[in-house]
Amino acid sequence: MSARAISGVAAPRSTFDFLGLGRWQRAQTLRILALAVYTVITVFPFYWMLITTFKQNSDLYNTDNNPLWFNAPPTFDNITYLLEQTRFLTWMMNSLIIGVGVVLITLITAVPAGYALARLRLPGAEQLGIIIFATYLVPPTLIFIPLTRVVHVLGLQNTIWSLVLVLPTISIPFSVWLLMGFFKNVPFEIEEAALVDGATRWQAVFRVVLPISRAGLAAAGMFAFAISLQAFLYPLVFTSSTAVKPVTLGVVTDLIRGDLFFWGSLMAGALLAGLPVAILFNYFLDDFVEGITAGATK
Amino acid sequence: MATIASGVVVSRAVAVPRRTVHLKGYLLVLPAVLYVLALLGFPLVLGIWYSLTNTTVVRDGTFIGLKNFVDAAHDPTFILALRNTLIIATVATAAKITLSVALSFLLLGAFRGRSLLRTLFVLPWTIPVALSTIAWKWMFHSQFSVVNWLLVHAGILNQGIQWLGTPAPAMFAVILVSTWRAVPFGTIVLMAGLTALPADVLDAAKVDGANWWQRFFRVIVPLIAPILFIAILFDLIFTLTELTVVFLLTGGGPVDQTQVLANYALQVGVPGSQLGQGAAIALFMLPVLLLLTVLALRTIARREGAA
Repeated sequence: MSARAISGVAAPRSTFDFLGLGRWQRAQTLRILALAVYTVITVFPFYWMLITTFKQNSDLYNTDNNPLWFNAPPTFDNITYLLEQTRFLTWMMNSLIIGVGVVLITLITAVPAGYALARLRLPGAEQLGIIIFATYLVPPTLIFIPLTRVVHVLGLQNTIWSLVLVLPTISIPFSVWLLMGFFKNVPFEIEEAALVDGATRWQAVFRVVLPISRAGLAAAGMFAFAISLQAFLYPLVFTSSTAVKPVTLGVVTDLIRGDLFFWGSLMAGALLAGLPVAILFNYFLDDFVEGITAGATK
Repeated sequence: MATIASGVVVSRAVAVPRRTVHLKGYLLVLPAVLYVLALLGFPLVLGIWYSLTNTTVVRDGTFIGLKNFVDAAHDPTFILALRNTLIIATVATAAKITLSVALSFLLLGAFRGRSLLRTLFVLPWTIPVALSTIAWKWMFHSQFSVVNWLLVHAGILNQGIQWLGTPAPAMFAVILVSTWRAVPFGTIVLMAGLTALPADVLDAAKVDGANWWQRFFRVIVPLIAPILFIAILFDLIFTLTELTVVFLLTGGGPVDQTQVLANYALQVGVPGSQLGQGAAIALFMLPVLLLLTVLALRTIARREGAA
């Protein structure tokens, strides 16, 4: 599958040769320079989080210091403050529970839907799939105001369950679409062979189709998890008590007291919460791109 | 499930009456559809109803027609928010396309460290936006801005800029963060497109003796256009409704100079409790978004059909 080709080191040789970029090897220096500049711009905010995390306040808030490096010995104070004086671990746990809940709801609803739309030759399946996918394009900012009422009526305001309930609306549409793509790639002969061997349709699905599509299930699950950790508006609107906030919200709201920003701990929190998500997201990036570009890369 | 007559090899999918299969198939799709209808479709309809009423947190509203939209049109802050939303979407989208195209070409070809570089390049897009925005807020700090320190020490500025405290630099900061965050998305989508170009078409054009510019604009660009188009439409939809960057970086300030529709809707609707007015502001872009969505889906559907 083409998604695999994107991730590997295998280069798009044909396009490369076609544009005669090989002749531009002399311009290689320029290319490396451009890439280096862009890498610095990309990575600098992460460097900035890292170095701020380990700086003493006296070093951080002294305009005479060179901010790019340590002017006083590194310290763990900011991390200690984050872990001991805030509910950071509670927020992490909240995010984990929310994430697992969203993954479960997403898979329970999206796997059957994706399977049926991809493999049962339902009339209008393709159109239905595209309509479900279209709902992925409804941004939370359009509907958060009426949703506050819905969450209120259900009695879920200011609980993590409001987020478990609402966030799958972002992950289900995309996951159905993603899984349709994976299920389509399972050859019909394999499933039919299992049926002929006496397996029921359920057995065929659980013993043959799902194991073959496990990369797709993993991608849909990781997508749902990452989406639930990326969310900001819904947590902002639906949770207000410190104890029920997910980590992305807790870090950026509870380390600001009035006009006082705890920058060292803020950056520590951003780094500790952000990097795992970034790495997780990186793993299924190719599947995500495959989903977005659909048939275009087949 | 129907039983298979002994000795006769029949696939069950064929043996079962087609209509039963269809019914069961649609039942499998139902949970996903119901979930999305209940928590996305229903709120959307409720939001449209709110926007036509004077609903507040404490009062179930009555129908007031388009009054909320007329009020919005006379609200200077709304006008500012609308203007800023359009400026940010236009400038940021142009910047994102330019940088994405440039980067995807720079990353073409095999070289050492390419996959490491790719992992680094996608970081801005994979980290939760709230967390990266707060880092940028610290980088643009009024007193301890490292951006200012670098610019002053490089001799580009005599003294630091109040990035988030003055209108134009604040807009620049919002656009910069928005662009920084989204470029990786455009780049990887384009790289996927460039990798998948049919070699025979490229070879044919090469034999035809087309020069570099012709090859680029007449062959490569039309081939990657659908993917580029999808990436732009997706990005526009999310930029036009973007909230997190503005909310955390500037809060819409100074004095609403970086206010955008989504953030203004939040201010009016949640702390302000004016659900009807807030919904109207949030939904103001709906016709534009619908148009963009239809365009995106048609492009996707066409490519699905062609595949």
